[in-house]
Amino acid sequence: MLKFIVRRIFWTIPVLLVVIFLTFMMMRQIGGNPFRHSERAVPEAVQRNLEAKFHVNDPWWKQYAYYVKGVFTLDFGPSLVLRGQTVNDIIKEHFPKSIELGLYAFLFAIVVGVPLGVIAALKHNTAVDYGAMFFSNVFHAIPSFLVATLMIYWIALKLGAVPTSGWATWEHKLLPSIALGFAPMALFARLVRGTMLETLQQDYVRTARAKGLRYRRVVGLHVLRNSLIPVITAAGPLLGFIITGSFVIELIFNIPGIGQYYVTAVNARDYSVVMGLTVLLSVLIIFANLVVDILYGILDPRTRDART
Amino acid sequence: MRTKSIWLWLALLMSSVALVAAGCGGDDEEGTSGTTTTEGGAEAAEQVITVNWGTEPPSLDPGLASDVTSANILLNIMDPLVKLDEDLNAVPNAAESFETSEDGKTVTFTLRDDLKWTNGDPVTAEDFEYSWKRTVSPELGADYAYQFYGIVGAQDYNSCDPKKDDCAALRDKMGVNAVDDKTLEVKLTTPQPWFLQQVAHHSFLAVNKKAIDQFGDKWTEPANIITNGPFKLESWQHNSRIDLVKDPNWRDAGSVKLTRVNGRMISDGITAVQAFEAGEVDVLYQGLPPDEISRLKETPEYEQYPALGTYYYGVNVKNITDVKQRRAMALAIPRQSIIDNIAQQDQLPATGFTPKGMPGFDAINPDSPWLPGEGDMEQAKQLMSEVASPKKNITLYINDSPGHREIAVAVQAAWKELGISSTIKQQEFQQYLEFLGPPPNKDVDIYRLGWIGDFVDAINFLELWTCDSGNNSTNYCNEDFDALIEKARSTEDNDARYDIYGQAEDILFGENGDMPVLPIYFYTYGDLERESVKESFEVNLLNQTDLTKVVVTE
Repeated sequence: MLKFIVRRIFWTIPVLLVVIFLTFMMMRQIGGNPFRHSERAVPEAVQRNLEAKFHVNDPWWKQYAYYVKGVFTLDFGPSLVLRGQTVNDIIKEHFPKSIELGLYAFLFAIVVGVPLGVIAALKHNTAVDYGAMFFSNVFHAIPSFLVATLMIYWIALKLGAVPTSGWATWEHKLLPSIALGFAPMALFARLVRGTMLETLQQDYVRTARAKGLRYRRVVGLHVLRNSLIPVITAAGPLLGFIITGSFVIELIFNIPGIGQYYVTAVNARDYSVVMGLTVLLSVLIIFANLVVDILYGILDPRTRDART
Repeated sequence: MRTKSIWLWLALLMSSVALVAAGCGGDDEEGTSGTTTTEGGAEAAEQVITVNWGTEPPSLDPGLASDVTSANILLNIMDPLVKLDEDLNAVPNAAESFETSEDGKTVTFTLRDDLKWTNGDPVTAEDFEYSWKRTVSPELGADYAYQFYGIVGAQDYNSCDPKKDDCAALRDKMGVNAVDDKTLEVKLTTPQPWFLQQVAHHSFLAVNKKAIDQFGDKWTEPANIITNGPFKLESWQHNSRIDLVKDPNWRDAGSVKLTRVNGRMISDGITAVQAFEAGEVDVLYQGLPPDEISRLKETPEYEQYPALGTYYYGVNVKNITDVKQRRAMALAIPRQSIIDNIAQQDQLPATGFTPKGMPGFDAINPDSPWLPGEGDMEQAKQLMSEVASPKKNITLYINDSPGHREIAVAVQAAWKELGISSTIKQQEFQQYLEFLGPPPNKDVDIYRLGWIGDFVDAINFLELWTCDSGNNSTNYCNEDFDALIEKARSTEDNDARYDIYGQAEDILFGENGDMPVLPIYFYTYGDLERESVKESFEVNLLNQTDLTKVVVTE
């Protein structure tokens, strides 16, 4: 197991290098001038001074080497547009907010989605099942920004129950977390229902029941545990989904997370911020997949041997 | 991401249908510019407002700040040498007086005695000398360094290469000099009558050397910053809020009513409108979502200001070579109907390039026969029929921000009637700017752009169309025009200069005008302002608000 983990961690390094390389090249291919903020052309001397200051006129391989070194020493350099702020500052200030939002959304998805799936499976083919599945299908299909907009309109603006935007108190955090969590919640509900139904048909469940174990214990201990495996498999990629989804949610709710910054940075050609955030998100997703693989091994011993 | 935002607009369009019901009856209150009285009601006990600044300012360093948000904050936390009055004339502010020498090439500012930094030190002429030289220094890499190019030696210093040149010597040669604590002497390369108005720009503010030496790049953080204006920077949570509080020790604190200005940064227009409607924000600077304008215009909180800006279509004169075709295309555009139905903010149909509100506008404006407000399709068709070899298939380039496509489609329809079939191509803004050039791209026949002035002289607009202008992507080059602009640069007398600008406009748009540009409209700014501040909250032509004049009424 340990060997497996160590090997997986080492594999992240080439993956990361490729990600850096691709982002680096793509950002330079899309054109545009990070030092031009409006229609107004930048005078030659000003442009030259800025290029010299931020080393963007060096040959690309030099910049790339310089950047890779920065990444491994955890120094992402200064922002080209937000003068006086480094990428590290930006991450430090804004990343925790995105993580917080993602966690709440995830929590909402699990706390509501898993029980919904369990209930639907246990009450298979009843009105409860149909109701729960209809609910989750609808929310899986509706994009989060629409949910968000409707919630702001009805709950914040019409009812005045919570503020429309911002990120300070729990009242601010309620709507965005739910809006972002709806789609994964629906996914979890359907996944859990499906695997539960399958597991309930398994021989070992019948055996357990035949042994005289109580139904509740069988479901709670054996069925649920095995039904959660696909949930965990889905959770890894879902994290990526939640992060990209948060870009829109952060914009709509005006949450000062990194999603907002990411989009602004791409539009403004703030190379260092785009690079820094891309690397950060890649590490995060790579790490999440690693954790999923490890959890997988713990929950299902059969997969462990095959992987070591 | 672009597609995402399009979906966003779509979704919000749906919900805004429902929102229309919430609109209130019309109230045609026009902007009463400049009045600071409290006619609207008694002064409220609590003089606190919350504004939406819009986007995160790239910097609060006067040398580095480059956008409207930072300009607005800086001009309220710092004390500019001069301010612009209602007619955009420079009036003394931190400078008690200023004097221009007879040859027009030396300007001397005398500072007031009671200027203080928030750390208690006096503000001196040396502070200004230090700040201006710092902004021009190549090491700082300031966007607005070019604002100083009119000062002797500034361009040389800014262009200096630390590896080759003796930058320190060039720095000393720059023509800004503190004669004593209170006297700042500025030497200009030519007489520049607009220099005084230019000094009202935020890049000419003084910065505190102690704070910069101690904190470096981080000197603008609230804990470190040392300011000298009516308000202090209380907090700056990046991308979230910037709060200002009144500085009770400021020289004229008695006249400042607001005790506090809470500032949020809501960049998304729809979110901002919702925050306003929920009562979380009192003032919404422009950036109202285009789809919502028609509804918001009907609310009593809507306020509109003229802007110093022109929305235009540039013509590649190497592709559309016949001036008759360019005139026909200009005549065909139904400007007023575009304003009424698409732009919707009572913009003015452009009758020249220099916008209304610019000092000397009446003398400068050519009242072009080719730019009638409603358009003139008859005459356009007539002219078009006289074109020997017309270009019938053209490509019209626009950037992909909201609103431009709708206008382009209207123009396309108008040109269709002339027998010109146009293909509209859209690009993301940064790519678009690079694509257009200069050097002008030969695939472009027509392109959309806008120009917002940053100081109040028509030269700021007209110099765009000189042969070697960095903003001219039309291939247009007329030596007579260039000669006039050059002449204007050294013409000190206002009326004489306006006359020259008028001649220059005539070369572009007059009876025999070359029409390298098709101006569409002069911009306006649309704001939402709570009725308790609407009376006193004013935005000038440069999109700046003097918060010292704002009073909250009951």
